[in-house]
Amino acid sequence: MSRSAHVRPLLGAVGLCLLASWPLIMSSPYDLRLFTLAGVFAILAIGYQFIFGNVGELSLSQGAFFGLSAYVSGILAVKAGADFPQSFAASIIVCVLLAVLVSIPVLRLSTHYFALATLGVGQVLLLVAIEWQSLTGGAIGLSGVPLPKLFGVQVARGWPLLLFVWCFVALAAMVAFQVKRGLYGLACHVVRQNAVAARSLAIDPDSIRFAMFLLSAAMAGVAGALHAHTIRIVSPEGLDFKVMIACLTMAVIGGRTHIWGAIAGALLVVHLPEWLRGFQQSYLIITSSVLIAILIVAPEGLAGLVDRLLPPQRSKSPDSDGLSPIQDRTSDGVLMPSETPILAVRELTKTFGGVHALNNVSFSLMRGSIAAVIGPNGSGKTTLVNCITGNYRADSGAILLGGGEIGALGSDEIAARGVGRTFQNLRLVDDMTVLDNVAVARFRAEAATLGKSFLIGRRDEKLSRARSHALRVLRRVGLEHAADVNCASLAHGTKRLVEIARAICLDPAVLLLDEPAAGLNETEQAELARLLEALAARGLTLLIIEHNMEFLKNLATHMVCLDYGELIASGRPSAIYQDERVIEAYVGRRQAAEATA
Amino acid sequence: MRFARRIMLAATALLSSSALAQETSLTVPIIAPITGLLALEGTSQLNGANMAIAHAPAGLKIKSQVIDSGTAAEGGANALERVAGDKSTYFSVAPLFGTQVLAMLPVALEYKIPILAPTGTGPVTEQGNPYMFRLYPHDAVSKAAHIRYVVEELKLKKAAILYNTTGYGQSGFKYMSEYLTKVGGEVIFSEGVDLSAKEISATLAKLKAAKPDVVLIQMHSASIAMVVKQLAAANIQIPVVGNTTIAMPATASLLQPSELKGVCAESASWLEKGADAATDRFINDYVSKHGAMPDAYAIQQYDGLMMALVAVKGGAKSTEDVRKYMSTTEYKGVAMRYKADAKGNLAHSVVIVCYDGASLNPKLVKRYDNVAGF
Repeated sequence: MSRSAHVRPLLGAVGLCLLASWPLIMSSPYDLRLFTLAGVFAILAIGYQFIFGNVGELSLSQGAFFGLSAYVSGILAVKAGADFPQSFAASIIVCVLLAVLVSIPVLRLSTHYFALATLGVGQVLLLVAIEWQSLTGGAIGLSGVPLPKLFGVQVARGWPLLLFVWCFVALAAMVAFQVKRGLYGLACHVVRQNAVAARSLAIDPDSIRFAMFLLSAAMAGVAGALHAHTIRIVSPEGLDFKVMIACLTMAVIGGRTHIWGAIAGALLVVHLPEWLRGFQQSYLIITSSVLIAILIVAPEGLAGLVDRLLPPQRSKSPDSDGLSPIQDRTSDGVLMPSETPILAVRELTKTFGGVHALNNVSFSLMRGSIAAVIGPNGSGKTTLVNCITGNYRADSGAILLGGGEIGALGSDEIAARGVGRTFQNLRLVDDMTVLDNVAVARFRAEAATLGKSFLIGRRDEKLSRARSHALRVLRRVGLEHAADVNCASLAHGTKRLVEIARAICLDPAVLLLDEPAAGLNETEQAELARLLEALAARGLTLLIIEHNMEFLKNLATHMVCLDYGELIASGRPSAIYQDERVIEAYVGRRQAAEATA
Repeated sequence: MRFARRIMLAATALLSSSALAQETSLTVPIIAPITGLLALEGTSQLNGANMAIAHAPAGLKIKSQVIDSGTAAEGGANALERVAGDKSTYFSVAPLFGTQVLAMLPVALEYKIPILAPTGTGPVTEQGNPYMFRLYPHDAVSKAAHIRYVVEELKLKKAAILYNTTGYGQSGFKYMSEYLTKVGGEVIFSEGVDLSAKEISATLAKLKAAKPDVVLIQMHSASIAMVVKQLAAANIQIPVVGNTTIAMPATASLLQPSELKGVCAESASWLEKGADAATDRFINDYVSKHGAMPDAYAIQQYDGLMMALVAVKGGAKSTEDVRKYMSTTEYKGVAMRYKADAKGNLAHSVVIVCYDGASLNPKLVKRYDNVAGF
């Protein structure tokens, strides 16, 4: 066992003890108030990790949901005399409903467009809060928000309120833990790192982003309501962009994906300015300097720094976890290629502006066959794969899988129906183990959902089964020994194999491989060829895009050649190699004439 | 000789210890927004408080504790919680930011500690909290004088109102609109301007098209300076009567005298040398230390804090004693006489000052004492 394996649990225990003893040691009413507020902001930051950490979207509306919730709770309590449970529940519901409304247009966007759109939510709410004076009290806000009252008992300021708020912190941390630790959490991680890869594994990033956005909003709702009942006033300052900046700072300083990072970030961001207030006008500069210094030392946040210094134990492969890989139920017999097309492409056309990337391309693949798509650079090979897998929508034509049209489906749905793929430029998740990179392909098969992740007990059975399945696939491709290794540390050739294993783990009917031999030496190419032949022998249909003719020569049973988006030849490899148009496409008209002469 | 020296030393020590025994020690928390968008006004407040401590009655040993409340709603309440438990704290200076004061009220009530805030924002003295003392005239008072001057002295009734979309701006706008309507006037144009706005030419074009005969303003320092500058740049020749922030030296210094020509403002207080020794001392020391005349926030904070210090000097030995003194005693400050009404409003005088276009120092044109709301 490594040193970190001993130190990390110890460090965790020390951290928990420090957290518990903090308010015991610093127990003045002022300290208790700050600790209570830190708890409120910890919930906000934990919630923000769902959208910002889990799926990597820079949402700038978390502060707006926080402020909205405070207003809903405050208005219901002050103006309608609602009890705390009522106002609390209502504020969460309103936040989630607004998140649903906002997500319809906003979740279609990504990167900075998504950030700007979510920023707009806060600005609109701020204007409403200021202008709707009869309801919100205008710019000065509404005072007189009561302390929380449960079952007729008022939660007093000081220790009772602190414990009350921190119970919610514990609850929020538990929810976050449940979401992150199972197969659903792995899928979130893949969505954050590479949404295109996620879609190729039948994971719908949109639905995961939607769920995380709603969960973030709900957590902001919890935090906002608690904030209103803690500071006992609601005002536009709660909707100010500064709240969002504070939330972002907590997540970044603490670590965007670690629950304890969010709590540490909140404690630090709430307490640091208070500790430094003695410096009067200079305290903001000093606070900022300290935070910048932390980011320089730990750009990945405090939690990331701990991970760097004391790397966490790799997730164990099922064998070492007491589980065996799922036994292969199929025999090792050979299935002969069928005469029934499993995949048929009919008059497929795709244009980019005036460029015909694909022009009336038609061909069919028989089950268990190994077909190759060849053609010079820019001939449309990768566009063809992207159209078949749904990454691009074809302008016209049809794509049939097992006789059913799939051209109008999204790429995750096409993957779910049995079309796996690998990428010309590898799309693995470097900070995940080989095993988990492969296991996550079982997401759809295991029917992992957010709701089910809340019900995970001691161990996520879905994840265990997915890992068992993945281990079996890794054995088949000869990578079992690397199961617990992070993908970042693998050689290029091994990564190619992992990507193939991941695609196989999806249990596809058709597997599209985009330049699988690129970067492999001859021995590796030979091993890969044997593997692909074995897969085809089990009934898997393979479509390989490749420039390496030597690799394809003895592997492919059928070939199609594209040039300038048009299918110029189709047939057995021996015939294709002699085809004048193919030679011309590759070497030019004059050289082709000389070659045939 | 040596014996005589010993006698002298012993006598000196005795006298010193006796003097120390008579000294009353107290901590004065000064909670003010000295960073953020209200830093200009908050710094004036802090300067006034510091000057009051420097001029405190003899026999008080004061330890001041400056705490920045920033602009977060809970900033003032956090700070009050920090200082309220201290037994040597009999009262606290509170921020001029009304929202923060509202959040401080439950804490003040729980600790039974008087808070002194130079804020005009209406609701802070409407919560029935006996520990709240407002040093600045209630908006209901200052805006009554503001409108009376416009209607009675300038004879103008068709007003355009520009205000900040803050508690301060909205509170002033509300009272000005109501009062103007009550005296037969009319608000023919109004617009809220965000505190961070830097350019309002579109707003001014609409204002001009509405053809008001007076422009009334209720804004914070930076905003009102921006508006006055752009009114002058757009050559909009309509009389301007603003709120107190345009009468602040720090605000006027952002403008040229010509840009301020004809601009008038209501203000809580107006000081001129020669009124009395205390006023001269305050002005001289303030100008010498800060290089500018004190503005209304500095003056009101100086007077209010001095009133509380006089209470302690006069025998107040607890927060309750200070509260009783503040709520029952009439105090003559450098700016006016202060007397708490049933809600804790101490200031009831307002002045109107105007710029002549030749200097950055406005002149007193009208004084309203014991002003009542409409």
